[in-house]
Amino acid sequence: MADQTTTAWPANGPADLISPGRKRAGFALMAAATLGLLAVIGLQTLYKNEIITFGFETWRPIVYAYVLWGMALGVGQVLTRGEDGQRALFLLPALLFTIAMVIFPTLFGFYIALTDWNLSSFSGRKFNGLDNFWQMLADPYYRNALFNMVLYVLAVLVEYVIAFGLALLLNAQIRARKFFRVVFLMPLMLSPVAVSWMIGKSLMEYRFGPAAALARYLGWENPAFFSNPIIARISIMVLDAWTFIPFMMIMLLAGLQAMSRDVLEAARVDGATPWQTFWQVTFPLMLPVSVTAVILRIIFKLKLADIIITVTSGGPGGATDSVSSFIYREYRDRSNVGYGTMLAMAYLVIIVVFVTWLLKFANRFVRNVN
Amino acid sequence: MRVGLYEKLVRAGASRRDILKGAASMAAIAAASGAGLGAFTRPAEAASELRSQILQIPGVGKGQPTDADFQKVGELCLAATKANVKEGEFAGVELTFMGLNNQNLHNVLFRGFLKPWEAYTGAKISWIDLAQADYNARLQQSIATGTVDFDIIEMGAPFEGDVCGKGLTSEMPDWVKTQIDFDDLVSYLKPPVGTWDGKQYRVTVDGDAHNFNYRTDVFADADLAKAWKDGGATTEWGVPKTWQEVQAVTKFLKGKKFKDQDVFGYLDAPKAWGGFGFYFLGSRATAYAKHPDDKAWLFDADTMKPRINNPAWVRAIQDVIDALPSEPADQINADPNTTAFQQFLAGTGSMVTWWGDVGSNVKTNDSSVVGDVTGFSILPGSDDVYNSKTGAWDKLASGPNYAPNCAYLGWGVYVMARVDADEKKKKAAWSAAAHLGGKDLSIWTAMYPSGFQPYRNSHFDIPEWVAAGYDEAFITSYLKSEADSYNHPNAAIEPRIPGIFQYYSAAEDILANTFAGKMKAQEGADAIAAAWEKLTDQIGRENQIKLYKASLGV
Repeated sequence: MADQTTTAWPANGPADLISPGRKRAGFALMAAATLGLLAVIGLQTLYKNEIITFGFETWRPIVYAYVLWGMALGVGQVLTRGEDGQRALFLLPALLFTIAMVIFPTLFGFYIALTDWNLSSFSGRKFNGLDNFWQMLADPYYRNALFNMVLYVLAVLVEYVIAFGLALLLNAQIRARKFFRVVFLMPLMLSPVAVSWMIGKSLMEYRFGPAAALARYLGWENPAFFSNPIIARISIMVLDAWTFIPFMMIMLLAGLQAMSRDVLEAARVDGATPWQTFWQVTFPLMLPVSVTAVILRIIFKLKLADIIITVTSGGPGGATDSVSSFIYREYRDRSNVGYGTMLAMAYLVIIVVFVTWLLKFANRFVRNVN
Repeated sequence: MRVGLYEKLVRAGASRRDILKGAASMAAIAAASGAGLGAFTRPAEAASELRSQILQIPGVGKGQPTDADFQKVGELCLAATKANVKEGEFAGVELTFMGLNNQNLHNVLFRGFLKPWEAYTGAKISWIDLAQADYNARLQQSIATGTVDFDIIEMGAPFEGDVCGKGLTSEMPDWVKTQIDFDDLVSYLKPPVGTWDGKQYRVTVDGDAHNFNYRTDVFADADLAKAWKDGGATTEWGVPKTWQEVQAVTKFLKGKKFKDQDVFGYLDAPKAWGGFGFYFLGSRATAYAKHPDDKAWLFDADTMKPRINNPAWVRAIQDVIDALPSEPADQINADPNTTAFQQFLAGTGSMVTWWGDVGSNVKTNDSSVVGDVTGFSILPGSDDVYNSKTGAWDKLASGPNYAPNCAYLGWGVYVMARVDADEKKKKAAWSAAAHLGGKDLSIWTAMYPSGFQPYRNSHFDIPEWVAAGYDEAFITSYLKSEADSYNHPNAAIEPRIPGIFQYYSAAEDILANTFAGKMKAQEGADAIAAAWEKLTDQIGRENQIKLYKASLGV
């Protein structure tokens, strides 16, 4: 036993056992790979800016250089840090992948947002500082879309109430409960584009849609669901809610099923009415699940675009436009890449700030209530 | 089949493979052989027989053509290809073709037409299908990012500035011009359309102009005529000839019944449609804005200053605002696809402007209920026309001003320059394009739902349409509206300038707000003008002026 204690690895053992020559080789490899990568990037940048006359036709070699650099970095870690380096290898590929696929594109996106880049322009992309940002601040269409987003997000509260009601129903001892659970989930399985066509452009169609026919039968003379700004906005909210209420419902149902029956029975023994049981026991206990469901739904809602693009194109007069559908038109129909990217980046910042605040607020709210 | 017949066909020039290809192929060869001549020399009589034969596939009034029909037609029209290409000559060549799939037309037909071509030549085609609204973005991204991943493209002339102007297309070889009988094109589709810097790039497969489609039964109805007179009208009840009359009729028909159904007048398309919706305001505006003494109508030719906020265009915008309350209740949410295919063909509305697709669909589209009651004319005129040079409204001595909107100038098939490095691939690409733009095949696309309208002088032979099964009065009216639009001396020609759809798309957003009542007509027009000025500066004003002038021929 004593022998085993003396031969065990010390806390920083592997690093100490690495020979200086191996360490030097590791550092040299990483330095060479880094220099190589920087040299290739520098060369290609100079070539693309027409400062030198030789370079690569595309930027693809930079990707290959990055991959090689990553591999050299991994080998270098092992050479210089031994087992610590091997541990780092578990993380390094994911880190390099995230840098390549998320961090770099985001930073590049911020750069594009600072350029004047219309795809039809003869002069190509031009840096124009904060011009796009100032333009965005003065853009009534963007402001209108942001305002609509506020309304769409507020509609989540109504969706939550309905979803909670449905979850309570499906949690009760009703006949064919399993069948209803599957049926209620079906809208979530449908593509929003399919929903747009099946419901928005077929069922709710003014001339032949059954929903319009029913509305006429009920006395609505001109059942145009997408012509009046308020009705159109509500119609879009209903379409979106129909698709996503099952998502919240299933989360709430899972919460209800996980709730201890003892608490409910104790409340009943204490003489609580059904309403008191719900309001003072079930609802507070469900708050953490509710907050999670609502926040996830809000995140989905902030990306609302497909139904609007398919059914109304943002109309009438921008009444149903969401930020995403507006950016889609700006970028896609007008090939205005620089400005479209600025709108998207600004929206990203707004979402990050809003969701961070929302999470903090929700945490505090749940803590205070419980 | 009998050996004797087989041997006769082989002597006539057909290979064993041709003969074994099936009944459709046999029918074509037999038809040519029956004339006592080689199947592939295409004498006039054989060509005429071939045309008669393909026009019976599936037959006018016998339902919509299917993929099997497209393939039959493609196979029967292969003779021109066979004259220039040996069997199996393009074996191993792979081409990528990018085009539209609107209403299951365009690429869907091209696939069928080119299947026999692939079988004969040995080439293989992969397809990129795009919805109309996605087309512009996909094309612009490919150009700007240097990722042209297609060898052949179906493209409209308005994009020639973006594509041909940047050296991305292959110049048409002379043998293609001969194969497609280039001189047969109607004159407005001849160069400069399809060319850039004097070089020919396009195989035209379509002619485009907005015409005016109306319901003959509505405008011949005695009860409506009486109500019209009783309402104090001083003119006779009939098809409107001017936009002023269109407005009056649309307002008059509000709330009226015809055949026990609500009857509506003109159908506007206020909803955005990827930029293409702007053409429909254009059709309302040309009679006001296109002066016979001035080729320009959208911008000032010397400065690219937009004319969209001049009194002519503002009047057109105001017309839409005034007419919308008299149109169906959900009209604000109608895009052009809705007005033509869901409303007019289905019996809603009595007047609509569109490309010639309405005419080619009323008789052959399964959802059409107005096949026997549709008439056609060039776009309505105006009692007066705005003179941008003097700033006054002119009344012409000749009467109302007419200015057909030659919107989009038709689709064409273009070969990309990336095939130029490989002679075999280049010939294959041009052969495929020439097959689609072939003279005989084109009469079939003009007569059946295809997304394409007549575009050749040979398409205006009325007896040929009548022989194919069209009603003479109907087809005379339709073809006359098309021919008169193409050949009109005051036609408003689409500017082939880079980014034209960005101008249209920017306008659509502002127009949507204007039509929804958020802005007055003049305010909306001013906002569009400001957006267009900015766009011109962004793309490059000097270049735009040069290209705009070139497209106007000034």
